[in-house]
Amino acid sequence: MNASLGTAGVALALVASVGGILTVVLAQAKGRPALLRQVPAFVGLVALGAVLATAAMQRALITRDFSVEFVAQNGSRATSLPFTISTMWSALEGSILLWGLVLAGYLVAVIWKFRTRLEDPLVAWAMLAMFAVTAFFFGLMVGPADPFGTVANPPLDGPGPNPLLQDHLLMAFHPPMLYLGYVGFTVPFAFAIGALATGRVGEGWLVETRRWTLFAWGFLTVGIVLGAWWSYEVLGWGGYWAWDPVENASLLPWLTGTAYLHSVMVQERRGMLRVWNLSLLCATFALTILGTFLTRSGVLDSVHAFSESSIGPILLGFFGVVVLVTLGLIGWRGEQLRAPGRIDSPLSREGSFLANNLLFAGFAFVVLFGTVFPLIAEAIDDRRVSVGVPYFNRMAGPIGLMLLFLMAVAPALPWRKASPETLSQRLLWPAWFGVGVVVACVAAGVRGLVPLVAFGMAAFAGGAALRQVILATRRNGWRGFVGRTNGGMIVHLGVVLVAVGLAGSGSFAEQAEARLAPGDSRVVHGHEVTYVGYDESDEPSRLIRAAEVRVDGRTLEPRLQRFPNATQEIGKPAVRYGIGDTVYLALIQAPRSSDGTILLRIIVQPLVGWLWAGGAVMVLGTILSAFPGRRRRGTEPVSAPTRWSGRRRPAPDDAVPERTDAVDPDDEREPVVTG
Amino acid sequence: MSRRLLWVVLGVVAVVALAIGSRGAGPSSAEERLWSIADGVRCPQCSGQSVADSDAPAAKALRDQIRADIEAGRSDDTIRARLADGAYGEDILLNPPRSGFAALVWIVPVAVVVVAFGGLALAFRRWERQGPATPSRRDRELVAAALGPDPDDPHGEGAGR
Repeated sequence: MNASLGTAGVALALVASVGGILTVVLAQAKGRPALLRQVPAFVGLVALGAVLATAAMQRALITRDFSVEFVAQNGSRATSLPFTISTMWSALEGSILLWGLVLAGYLVAVIWKFRTRLEDPLVAWAMLAMFAVTAFFFGLMVGPADPFGTVANPPLDGPGPNPLLQDHLLMAFHPPMLYLGYVGFTVPFAFAIGALATGRVGEGWLVETRRWTLFAWGFLTVGIVLGAWWSYEVLGWGGYWAWDPVENASLLPWLTGTAYLHSVMVQERRGMLRVWNLSLLCATFALTILGTFLTRSGVLDSVHAFSESSIGPILLGFFGVVVLVTLGLIGWRGEQLRAPGRIDSPLSREGSFLANNLLFAGFAFVVLFGTVFPLIAEAIDDRRVSVGVPYFNRMAGPIGLMLLFLMAVAPALPWRKASPETLSQRLLWPAWFGVGVVVACVAAGVRGLVPLVAFGMAAFAGGAALRQVILATRRNGWRGFVGRTNGGMIVHLGVVLVAVGLAGSGSFAEQAEARLAPGDSRVVHGHEVTYVGYDESDEPSRLIRAAEVRVDGRTLEPRLQRFPNATQEIGKPAVRYGIGDTVYLALIQAPRSSDGTILLRIIVQPLVGWLWAGGAVMVLGTILSAFPGRRRRGTEPVSAPTRWSGRRRPAPDDAVPERTDAVDPDDEREPVVTG
Repeated sequence: MSRRLLWVVLGVVAVVALAIGSRGAGPSSAEERLWSIADGVRCPQCSGQSVADSDAPAAKALRDQIRADIEAGRSDDTIRARLADGAYGEDILLNPPRSGFAALVWIVPVAVVVVAFGGLALAFRRWERQGPATPSRRDRELVAAALGPDPDDPHGEGAGR
């Protein structure tokens, strides 16, 4: 019953998306735009199919219908309700189904937003691209990743999801958030394809997709931060980011998406970088597919990887198709994409955006290259190499510091051209703030060149962002917090908090493995840890063995848990956050029968809490950026004046006196409103 | 104080503070050395985790081996080399080697970033030489039309988005 409902839902969504493709193609080929009014009906059918399939899967999980193979392999009678619901995305087939559901949701949102412009060819082509992606994913569910396969002899009970996914509620939220981000990049990609197909590359389609991109980027940010938080609170080694292939797969589209969110501003203002922006959007989407391939094909070893399956080659093929189609379209449109105009000076807002993009693209390249290098080395050199944390830290560290430096300088740069005077005036106190933080840290006894430079740069960048926010609020009151520029500065502040957290917790962790008898104490980095007692409790879904440990007078309970049907016990660390130090306890061994001692891992790290706070601030900034900001006429002068007026080409040695009376958005004065 | 002087003072203060701050990071304790080495050693039993991050038996055994090596007075590099030459092979180390084909993993990304920045510098040189574009009559008409009030959009907010 559930299986047939689900299969029907998947089939309906597949047929409807193919119908949508045919409708658009027919309308374009025969020149009958009236046909395009049928598109919303197909979208509705896709959504209906996706909802039906999801409901069938949830019903099968909740009612313990073990005749469905997916439930028999991943469900269990002992699992509590929230984790029963999240079982759907704990294994391959169900996660593809969630992907399909989110994609259908985006289809509905897009068609609703553009309901009055159905006959616009650009919208039509964008819908075609979205239908094609939808058809691909529902096609996966019909064939190689069928979530509704049945079992001839249903078992009485199943093994339940992986125990690691069952003891923290974050697991219920992390994948849906990540998917809202991942899948959301399909929308700007579809509009990029639409713009290329119709040849309307120089128009406002960018503005149309900016908020969609922002939405997807925001959710991807939340997803990545939640994932890091989950790793920290569950895996028991006091780390939140291991540069693991699957983590890298989620970071890649985030990096290219971040680059796009910056470079799109150059195109909106100066009309340049069209090819680059299109390429970034398409690369972002292609990287989500590549990431899915890396996660689900089993080619790379990873803690989080799904079990091996046959869909790897298919995903890789789809990735190849996306890349080829994009490159083909860009090549075909080549000449039209060439934007006139030039960038006057590297020392300008647009120059800093270019540098930012190079750094982000370079960062993405490093992460991608390092992730797949073991495969390359084995294929070409027949040598097994591991590329792990030390490599990525060494490569990403300098890039991160350069990005922080750019974050400090760039907001103070006007468009077109900055004079050293302006920069010196605007950056003075942020720079002093940075140096002040370094001095304060040294005075407080912090040692180590790399973390000190990181703290200083972060404070410099934070000061620069704060300066912008203060100026904007002084000028426009509460409106100084909303809009792209101001919201972006709030995001920057969040990034600064994250950078401080990364530098602090990465450089100054202190750990110990302590064997403690009841009553024993151990001091780690000034925190006294005392083992008090031990307790066992048997809950229906698990057996819990908890140690009672007192840290600085407060009680923490690191546990070991055994889930039914699981072969090994998994730990559940206990964490006490502070503004400064975070104390992290993981129980490694329950009391030995011989002497009653436990083995406890104690990790003291500074500033971990700043990571999660920074993530929250980044999300807040993203939300604020989505609101329309200060209303400004598009013709208001906000950049430095061009150096030459009129038609005279200057001789190379023509020394033009520099004007410094530029009106600029960051100026404290109210801009002159013309007209 | 003039602004220029303030910048000079800032530079001096920053250099002095960093010089003091980078001095004190002396030799670390045995425990710290253990974890820093363990961070760079792959756990042979677990998927992609390091010996420091895993509590699998193999990881514990390797940690004990590293601890014994530290107590025996061996240097960090010697300990790593012993692991790579031992039963596990060089892919036990998470830091890829700097010789042979595998060195490409270090060279290629740096080369790519350097080339990209070089290309950007060249592009700026070219733009610099081009001089500003001369607007045609049609461009001027476009600007004039844009500067006129748009009947649909009196506030200049873009086309009703």
